[in-house]
Amino acid sequence: MISATTALPSGRRRDRAALTVLTVWHAALCVLLMAGALATLASASALDLLTIALAVVQALLALGSATAAALILRRNHLGRTLSLVVNYVLFLACLIGLAHVLGLFMGLDDLADYMARGVPFLMGALFIVGYFVAATELRERPVPVARRTLGQVLMTIGAIGFALTAGVVPALASIPGKYVSSGLLPLALTAGAVVLGYMLWSMWRGESARAMGAKNIHSERLNGWLFLSPNLLGFTLFFAGPLLFSLYVSFTNWDSFNKRDWVGLDNYRRMFNLTVQPLAAPDQPANQAMDVQVYDELFRVNLLGQSYLIGAEDKRFWISLRNTLVFGLLAVPLAVVPALLLATLLNSRLPGMRIYRTLYFIPSVAAVVGVALIWQWMYNSQVGWINYFITSAVNLINSVFGTNIKDPQIRWLADSDYALLSVVIMSAWQWLGFNTVLFLAGLQTIPRELYEAATVDGANPRQQFFNVTLPMLAPTTLYVLITTTIQALQVFDQVFIVSNGTGGPGTSTLTMTLNLYQNGFQSFRQGYASALAWVLFVVIFAFTLFQFRRQRRASGAYDL
Amino acid sequence: MSYRATRIIRAVLIYVILTLFAAIMLFPFLVMLFTSLKTASDTFSYPPRLLPTEQVTVELPGFDRPLPLYYIVVESGETKPMALVEENIRVGIFAPLDAAGRPDVNNTVIRRFGEVKVAGGATPKEVVVGGQAVPVYEVEVNGAIAEMVVLTRTVFGRFINPANPNETAMANVRLSQPVTRVTAHPENYAAVVNLLGFDRALTNTAMITILTVIGQIVTSVLGGYAFARLKFPGRDQLFLLYLGTVMVPFVVLIIPLYQLMVVIGWVNAMPALILPWLYTAYGTFLMRQFFITIPKEIEEAALIDGASRWSILMRIFIPASAPALATLATFTFLYAWNSFFWPLVVVNTGNTRAQVLTLALNVLRGRASDSPNLILAGAAIAIIPPTIVFILAQRYYVESVTSSGVKG
Repeated sequence: MISATTALPSGRRRDRAALTVLTVWHAALCVLLMAGALATLASASALDLLTIALAVVQALLALGSATAAALILRRNHLGRTLSLVVNYVLFLACLIGLAHVLGLFMGLDDLADYMARGVPFLMGALFIVGYFVAATELRERPVPVARRTLGQVLMTIGAIGFALTAGVVPALASIPGKYVSSGLLPLALTAGAVVLGYMLWSMWRGESARAMGAKNIHSERLNGWLFLSPNLLGFTLFFAGPLLFSLYVSFTNWDSFNKRDWVGLDNYRRMFNLTVQPLAAPDQPANQAMDVQVYDELFRVNLLGQSYLIGAEDKRFWISLRNTLVFGLLAVPLAVVPALLLATLLNSRLPGMRIYRTLYFIPSVAAVVGVALIWQWMYNSQVGWINYFITSAVNLINSVFGTNIKDPQIRWLADSDYALLSVVIMSAWQWLGFNTVLFLAGLQTIPRELYEAATVDGANPRQQFFNVTLPMLAPTTLYVLITTTIQALQVFDQVFIVSNGTGGPGTSTLTMTLNLYQNGFQSFRQGYASALAWVLFVVIFAFTLFQFRRQRRASGAYDL
Repeated sequence: MSYRATRIIRAVLIYVILTLFAAIMLFPFLVMLFTSLKTASDTFSYPPRLLPTEQVTVELPGFDRPLPLYYIVVESGETKPMALVEENIRVGIFAPLDAAGRPDVNNTVIRRFGEVKVAGGATPKEVVVGGQAVPVYEVEVNGAIAEMVVLTRTVFGRFINPANPNETAMANVRLSQPVTRVTAHPENYAAVVNLLGFDRALTNTAMITILTVIGQIVTSVLGGYAFARLKFPGRDQLFLLYLGTVMVPFVVLIIPLYQLMVVIGWVNAMPALILPWLYTAYGTFLMRQFFITIPKEIEEAALIDGASRWSILMRIFIPASAPALATLATFTFLYAWNSFFWPLVVVNTGNTRAQVLTLALNVLRGRASDSPNLILAGAAIAIIPPTIVFILAQRYYVESVTSSGVKG
């Protein structure tokens, strides 16, 4: 008892001292960060976006640090939160910076050098995958302890073996050498990380929490942000930040190098700039009717006896828009309607349906690039299977019915009239199984009582399908339509492979995404390409909204 | 028709349709597998054959090389497999003249020009056939000499019966059907792997996939737990924001992400293929949906016992969520393994250090356009591993696809 009462004040004194250290630290950090922000602004040769963002972040952290210092003095629990946030952000920044300076990220490349010789690596990977697969059985019957231990041991052996053979150990051993060779920066970052880590620990301790008057709910909040932080870091760095930057780039004429001038809506204006000119004769040359310096001929139309010439400033945009819409209009029904039919059949509760379900699903897990290569070979006009099947079918029909149908001998991917259709068929084939499984799941949620009631009322299978199945399946149908449409409007891999990246033959397979790729990464018109990306986003958004609205009107509101 | 009979007919019909579609879904893969085992010349044969085949050869004493076998119609009218021993023999098809002085096409014989001689000796004998003077030859048929005229000249091969080397026959080589057998050339795979740094691409893809899977599981489990079980200000708004990101097409991000990689210096390097993909809204959503189904009481009891959030996550949530983890791992595996657009943008063509399988396939398509067997062997290398992973994990994967579909 006595020792406890004497220990308490000295403990309190230590806590108070720790909080004083933290206050001083935050005051110093505020000054340091403000200086950093000013130095960033001063040292930059030109005020580009990155510099400004960096300075603003530093200024905000300085402000946070100052507030934290003031609140810690008042023992306000918000001061603890703020202190932890500021220290944590800077701690992460130090660690990431250190990893970057020491070349840990680029070390992945070196790792790949040695991994080629490392069969042990593959074994290690297989153990990990095997362990996950084995662990998935946990839910129904627990894995015996012995087997689980064995799995862990094997995984450890695999990891150690990999570390030894793939050069992880020597790579890690070379890090101290890098400290010596790369000057002061790694040392400074390490020192920063250590100090920040100490400050984090000092504030995180239960004693500090109590001294600051923090309650359970406050630590739950902190835990929430802490657990979310890796995710949020990725979200900010690789999603939200780039998304906003993309919008900004779409208002510039960035050529990916130095030129990046604000051009306002000019990219969008150029994209949508069309001209309609009346023609004296339907075959009048385009240069007599419009300014061919600006416009390219898109198409001619005859309206009420008067011919018009429609020209566009960016002809390829309009062609890609048309191709994408045609692709979507053909591929989506082709990937959805047969899927519904197959799902209805699979739902018949006969034996063996699981096997069919698995078989149908396989195309959707295969790499699009590989699938496109297979189909490209099957589409071969001379020795391909597709034309062989067509020829055989035509010969069979001719010999059975005595008709004289001519073998069409389509040149598929080499023929600009058929190239897009060829890609439609291959894509629908690949998406069909996925949609079938989605429909099947939707069908299995429909209560059987509804069908029984319909049978009692004398509805035949066809009426049951249209009056029970389809309305009950509406949410699934909507989901399938939306996901397939989003996929179809972004089609890229297939057309890139079959047309060698050109969108050919001619412009027959030039889709919006391919056009964007050509603009952004072949002609390096990245400002314009960003504008194209946003237009594609709007098109996808509009289609999704349209399907959503139509469905809702058809079947009333439901919970999506 | 009885009820039972209708049911059986219906079941048969269902199986027929389903099998037909299964054939459509699987046929391209069969084409891929079998073509990848063919020789390059075999791939171009018409009509196309599924199975890789090659001509059967025999070794016969007295011949230094293996002899190809063909089906030959011998004089007795039988068809026998015979070995080709000599090619490019100039022969004539000879026919006797009938009573009207016309060639009798029903009694033709085939003879080499060296075996026959022109009739009439010093003054060659000629007859007029169809308004033209043609020479008459003395041809030996069954031991007797007959006078005949040449119907056509052609090039034949000489064949012998491997079982009975005395039995020989002459036939047109190109019109004879070769004796073939099913074969396989798995060395195509080795050839592809040694070509164009495919081995490096395979290593890179495996490494990228594994690191991406591990990274995504870590961020998604932590984020999912925070969204499911921890209350903090801004949580629900942030979650809605995460859900909204599913609508944004990847192409909107591609230019800023590329420029970000330029700034950091990761263009043409592996971190660019891994680090941007460690965060996913989908994975976070999946884990959150799974975690909210775990009863709260277990967690509260553990909290009262003084367990930290971290140990609750590790000891209660992770062991219970094996199916969700398997699903997420499979999804990520497929996505990372199959991705093409981003590597195409961030890794230059021809850079083998940071190449991945899909890029290597794209290069292979251009370089080996005359060897579809090699291209499809490459496609098989890219397609088979994800298929195996899918089949292993398909129970959970398919279930998760379906549940996310129904819930929207």
